[in-house]
Amino acid sequence: MNAADLSTLISRIDFAWITTFHIIYPPLTIGLAMLLFFAEWRWVRSKDEGWYRLCRFFERLFIVNFGAGVATGVTMEMAFGILYGPFSQAAGPFFGQVLGYETITAFMYEAGFIGLMIFGWGRISQRMHLFATANVAISSTLSAMWILCANSWMQSPTGVELRDGVFHVVDWGEAILNPHFLTAFPHMLIAAVELSICFVAAVSAWFLLKRRHVALFQRALKYSILSLIFVAAVQVWVGDELGQTVAETQPAALAAMEGHYETHNPDGSVNSSWNVIGWPNADNDGMGWSIAIPHVLSLLETHSWDGAVQGLNEFDQQDRPPIAATFYSFRVMVAIGGVLLLLALWGAWLAARGRLSVERVTENTWFLKAVVVAGVLPYLAIWTGWWTREIARQPWVVYGLMRTEDGVSHMSPELAIFWFVGFAIFEIGVTLGTIHFLAKICRHGPDVNSPVAFDPHDNDGMAPAGQADHTAAQTA
Amino acid sequence: MHTLSASQQVLIFAWWFALGVSVLIYIALDGADLGAGIFSLFVRDHDERGAIMAAMAGTWDANETWLIVAGGILFGTFPYVYGSAFNYLMVPLAFVLWGIMARAVALEFRHLASPFWQRFSDGVFGVASLTVTFFGGMSVGAVLHGYPMTEEAGRVPTYVGGAFAFITPFSIWVGIASTIAMTLAGLLFVRARFEKDEPIRQDAAKWTATIFYLAIAAVAVTTAWSALIFPWAANRWFGPGIWIWGILFIVSLFAIIQMRRATHQDRDLAAVLWFNGAAVIMGLGMLATMFPYLIPGTWTIWDAASPEVSITTFTLTMGGFIPVMIMYNAYQIWVFRARVTKLAAHAH
Repeated sequence: MNAADLSTLISRIDFAWITTFHIIYPPLTIGLAMLLFFAEWRWVRSKDEGWYRLCRFFERLFIVNFGAGVATGVTMEMAFGILYGPFSQAAGPFFGQVLGYETITAFMYEAGFIGLMIFGWGRISQRMHLFATANVAISSTLSAMWILCANSWMQSPTGVELRDGVFHVVDWGEAILNPHFLTAFPHMLIAAVELSICFVAAVSAWFLLKRRHVALFQRALKYSILSLIFVAAVQVWVGDELGQTVAETQPAALAAMEGHYETHNPDGSVNSSWNVIGWPNADNDGMGWSIAIPHVLSLLETHSWDGAVQGLNEFDQQDRPPIAATFYSFRVMVAIGGVLLLLALWGAWLAARGRLSVERVTENTWFLKAVVVAGVLPYLAIWTGWWTREIARQPWVVYGLMRTEDGVSHMSPELAIFWFVGFAIFEIGVTLGTIHFLAKICRHGPDVNSPVAFDPHDNDGMAPAGQADHTAAQTA
Repeated sequence: MHTLSASQQVLIFAWWFALGVSVLIYIALDGADLGAGIFSLFVRDHDERGAIMAAMAGTWDANETWLIVAGGILFGTFPYVYGSAFNYLMVPLAFVLWGIMARAVALEFRHLASPFWQRFSDGVFGVASLTVTFFGGMSVGAVLHGYPMTEEAGRVPTYVGGAFAFITPFSIWVGIASTIAMTLAGLLFVRARFEKDEPIRQDAAKWTATIFYLAIAAVAVTTAWSALIFPWAANRWFGPGIWIWGILFIVSLFAIIQMRRATHQDRDLAAVLWFNGAAVIMGLGMLATMFPYLIPGTWTIWDAASPEVSITTFTLTMGGFIPVMIMYNAYQIWVFRARVTKLAAHAH
């Protein structure tokens, strides 16, 4: 491997690292904002203080997570130019504008309402606060939309023309609504919701295992597990849709994800075998060993018994993505999707038998432990999902049009390593800090004693009647 | 590379101005936070350091948003500069980003930490503020030099120099000068945000005169040095338009004198505003000196602009979001305008 290839490889690792350590935070911001809105809306509607306490407690976790997201996110905006200068220049007319839209319509919009949401309790009216929370959820969703739009365009670059080394936009509609965007954005958005539901469920299950605030967290657990049934099922379906999109637009990527080398068997029939697990051989022209099931691949990708799926051997070696990393990260993601669905069904079964009631919920020790452990699974699924997506696009930075080595900044391997080491130290620091403080807030537990932040317009500066009694009852 | 229509030229000019204004607003707002951070390195009292951080708790992230906006405009409208300049500034920007990251974490997490980790976070906050200021200033100095680029037919010129080309005596000096200027902004911030009889405010007041004269000297040296080594600056300043630059010079001198008078009379808000006024005038003066270059000798704003600049995006941004953001930012600063005492360290 020469110095240029090594630099390219390390700068890919650099970017993978900063993205990997940024993507930990935004999904929780997006999904939890929606769940906070739900809890706050239930509180405003039903005047049930439990919803208020849950909302305030999870908001504290939200803030820590949000801070870490901003800290690692500022880097992202600059990193395109630093690590992928030539790519940023060539793709700037589309990609840069879309990221600019993200800054303007999402980041600034979100920054405005998040201040109101955090500092506004008791200072602005209940309705105004609910409105602020809704806007935080909407703006963070918009942010995800633009980011996924930009990334999807790199996967399926439509609506542009490569002239003089620059991607000129010929059709904005086609470029924005590119094939990947229409399936990848829903997939990511649902992933964010699924992750947040699992996060809330895991925190609640931990409190239930400790038998603290059982009534409060039983409610959070029940709602999250029951909504997970729906969300996890939809995610499996949307994930399959995205798989179809990949099959249509990036056949080499799909073949790598499935470790699929030969389109046809030696006897001329369609090779429809799906590799459960395996490892590519040293020449990278077939699987060294694998456990395969006939017909499953055709069923998965073409939804037919014998549909042909293009194999890797139809692509030049230099046009193939790395196989093993793609193959395994894809499998881990899919497996987690399945496990979360099973977990939700387990919860549904318990709920149907009345075992998730306030009186009995703490008896389900194994289920609660499983839910706590499952809190990390969506994080792992999002990581492996993104690794699959980004590695399977290689050797292209803009699929089929611009190679990664042409898009990477001019730098030496030493410099790329210097970047990596620096960001490794800082981002691990941020992550450890975040985990530490999330845990600390959880150990401290929800505040069930201080008076409910009331509506400043509903009264003459006095606490609403009966509030003190209500709080006392909750504490008892 | 490509031809621009007349309306595109107007838009590009407007975007260039918006970019400059975003950077200057960022320097005016976050400069005070950074300077207060540098000052906190010299504050011995644990709670006073905490109070400095508490004083900016509600506004620092909104202030930093202007940097993100500048980055967004640069990538969206001037992608050729974004892709090449950031490649050139890879090393100093890495330090700036680490500093921003560390500062954000220190600010957000301090109130949750135990006393030992609070002291650690105070140190991180101070050093990170210094790092961001120094390397940020150094990047500006390095950009004024311009940088070498590839010349390949059919491809966008990209950066070809080494990773350490940014280190020159002048860029190091601009880093030092920025540190001095931002420290002054920080002192004014501390004076404006603490109760009048707080000891920390009196310490800040004591240092103001020294730092003030150092800052004047820093500006003078930077200007003279620029005139000596940059023909584009000397030609413009001492060319036929010399009277315009003379007026600008007198106006900024006036703002500086007013700032000094305001600090003498303990009018803290006025001092901050005059400081920002002087900084904005000098910043705009520098942008005008470079015009039509965005990077002197390297990229003019016309060559650097994306061929896709459109009136839609511009209207959306300038007509809709920027005014809303300015109003929101102003409202936020207004909400958190009250003077604090060192007890604010425990206010969370």
